[in-house]
Amino acid sequence: MPIIQFREALRDAMTEEMERDENVFLMGEEVAQYNGAYKVSEGMLEKFGPRRVFDTPISEAGFAGLGVGAACCGLRPIIEFMSWSFTLVCMDQLVNNAANIRYMSGGQFKIPVVFRGGNGIAHQLGATHSHRVEAVYARVPGLIVVSPSTPYDAKGLLKSAIRCDDPVIFLESEKMLADKGEVPAEEYLLPIGTANVEREGDQVTVVSYGRPLQRVVRPAVEHLRTDHGIDVELIDVRTLRPLDVDTIADSVRKTNRCVIVDEDWGYCGMGSGILFKIQKRCFDDLDAPIEYVHSDEIPVPFSHPLEEAMLPSVDRIVSAVKEACYR
Amino acid sequence: MSADITMPQLSDTMTEGTLVKWLKKEGEPVKSGEKIAEVETDKAVMEMECFDAGVVAALVVPEGQKAAVGSLLAVIATGSENPAEVKQKAMARSQPTPAPVSTQEAAASRKPAMAASSGSNLITAVSGEIHEPDEIGHGATRQPPVVFPPLPHPDNGGRRLRVSPLARRIAARQNIDLSALSGSGPGGRIVKEDLVNPAARSSPPQVTAPPPLPIAPPLPTAAPVPSAFVQAGNGEQQVIPLTKMRSAIARSLLASKQNIPHYYETIDVDVEDVVNLRAKLNELLEPEKIRLSIGDFVSKAVASALLRNPAVNATFDGTEITRFGDVHLGMAVSIPDGLIVPVLRNVHLMGLKEIRQRSVDLVDRARAQRLKQDEMTGGTFTVSNLGTYGIREFAAIINPPQVGILAVAAAEKRPVVRGDQIVSRTMMSLTLSADHRVVDGATAAEFLRTLKTLLEQPGMMLA
Repeated sequence: MPIIQFREALRDAMTEEMERDENVFLMGEEVAQYNGAYKVSEGMLEKFGPRRVFDTPISEAGFAGLGVGAACCGLRPIIEFMSWSFTLVCMDQLVNNAANIRYMSGGQFKIPVVFRGGNGIAHQLGATHSHRVEAVYARVPGLIVVSPSTPYDAKGLLKSAIRCDDPVIFLESEKMLADKGEVPAEEYLLPIGTANVEREGDQVTVVSYGRPLQRVVRPAVEHLRTDHGIDVELIDVRTLRPLDVDTIADSVRKTNRCVIVDEDWGYCGMGSGILFKIQKRCFDDLDAPIEYVHSDEIPVPFSHPLEEAMLPSVDRIVSAVKEACYR
Repeated sequence: MSADITMPQLSDTMTEGTLVKWLKKEGEPVKSGEKIAEVETDKAVMEMECFDAGVVAALVVPEGQKAAVGSLLAVIATGSENPAEVKQKAMARSQPTPAPVSTQEAAASRKPAMAASSGSNLITAVSGEIHEPDEIGHGATRQPPVVFPPLPHPDNGGRRLRVSPLARRIAARQNIDLSALSGSGPGGRIVKEDLVNPAARSSPPQVTAPPPLPIAPPLPTAAPVPSAFVQAGNGEQQVIPLTKMRSAIARSLLASKQNIPHYYETIDVDVEDVVNLRAKLNELLEPEKIRLSIGDFVSKAVASALLRNPAVNATFDGTEITRFGDVHLGMAVSIPDGLIVPVLRNVHLMGLKEIRQRSVDLVDRARAQRLKQDEMTGGTFTVSNLGTYGIREFAAIINPPQVGILAVAAAEKRPVVRGDQIVSRTMMSLTLSADHRVVDGATAAEFLRTLKTLLEQPGMMLA
């Protein structure tokens, strides 16, 4: 099976869908002539021409709104944000318009738009460029929120997102674009709303997604196995809304304990929402309180050591898992 | 306008207090500044003053009951208010307080409930339609509820039994009496492992907690101890809930040892001259019925030595050192199941007679838990004396923010070398515990050397 980069997987997904459906187009800052700020859309202008791949001014509210309008009119836009932090200036388009138009028009308009870009902390970008927006959007009915952690998932989920008739918030990370992984040459789709049991185990369920999964959770799970003899069942939720509670609950019923890891702030963070759903479903199966490992509740520091210190670490995950296991 | 009397916060660590005694009855007039009640905190029983003049309209909290800091204790009708009306309003807004129930009564009333719960009156889930449980909790179709027996509340010191939800469910299914189990989880929580594999746990059944640490033999001065503290002699294990004082001691001593880099220096002092001087003075003081102790000479010498070594007569708050020109000497006093440190103020200005009289008064009132708050604070140095127990030498834990504490051991005849002869002398070992952040070894040694000189040549205290 070919091994390709995360950015290539995203590019292949967009290319295949644009070849398949002429209503699909790509728009965003630097996506066309500069070949993408992070080279995700490299070569796409040349391939599809300026009618389907085009640059926008630095105005998130403007081009996000343009995307919602285009989707209303039957097109299937892919809107690239350089960073999800910048979408705080276009929340009106995403939350008020994209999420609600289908409902408020009584189904007369569907909004098949994909908003995608880098989410979260991507090393020394400072407090205003390091927002983790998953909880902000995952709480909004009408939106779908996807956060892949491997090139394989990224391609399969982005293709499904483009074919989805509802607005999809697609969360990537600048720090994952160079990750490599096996991706089949033949076409495949991955269903939205399905979690992936990435590793089976029977002592504790660890739930995570996206960048934290890639950065610290996988190393922590390995460390727990080799150094502490704790057998973790690892679940990559992949879709944050709608959350696949069934898969998580099945696992927690088996292990009786659960640790959630994300890079959000804890209070009202993504993990808090997941935690609520698990405890609601699994209360009588829990032998220990659900643990939640998250970032410290401070603005994201610019300094490298301070940024590292605020983030979940392998050590923090190991100690949370041990606590959940009464070890 | 009626005036509320609420539970005052009488110490930093106080979260609730016990209303020991009302000194006024309902309907009695009360003046501003008059004592209205006795309140027991984690440290002492204290008298509480009334700030407003008027008539005691309502005593909301009965004697013997605990009340949280800030909660309503009584209401005073002021001016021309009708006490009966004020009382009515006060009772209406005060929380309904449960009638005080003695521990035995409480235990008796719980027993029938426990017996019922260990029976098989348990309804398990009936098989039937199982729909997706609604996560928000108000779906139209719901799973038939599983009914668990009520959690037993055995009388283990009034604490609720802690059980993980899973363990509780397993116990309900298998009809296991949780109160007979020992929990291995945090805070004694009963977890799955305790039910599934109890043999793997070290504690035998019927035991609710690990054995308590050995209790010190009762002090000669100990008042009759509550039954909970009677030591078992037949292999039984007991769970002893912490009193407020014991929790406060546990917290503060742990904090001291964790935060202060203690080190210790011991010096042997020849107290033969002090012993002789004491005998002479006690003869002279016989008509006044005053008997000085060796400890009084030590207090006197410590005060003089501290004035000459101000680095040890100090407090440290982590950023600044404060040195004191006066000596306020804390004296560790053992009381039944506790320890209290009354402060002898301005001890450097006192003669031996006054030191004796004032320490006796403080120690007596400490044992009766009748010290005022300002008699337990503001010490600049502390002395702990175990001489009467025959202890040869020991090390004490610093009482922060002070920087030193002196452990005074027994004065006893020991063989010592004088010249090339072994002679018998009355000796005493003094051990200083000091905070190395602010007091260095040589500074502490200098203080001890001064102290030794003053005690070996007591006349130097006059110099």
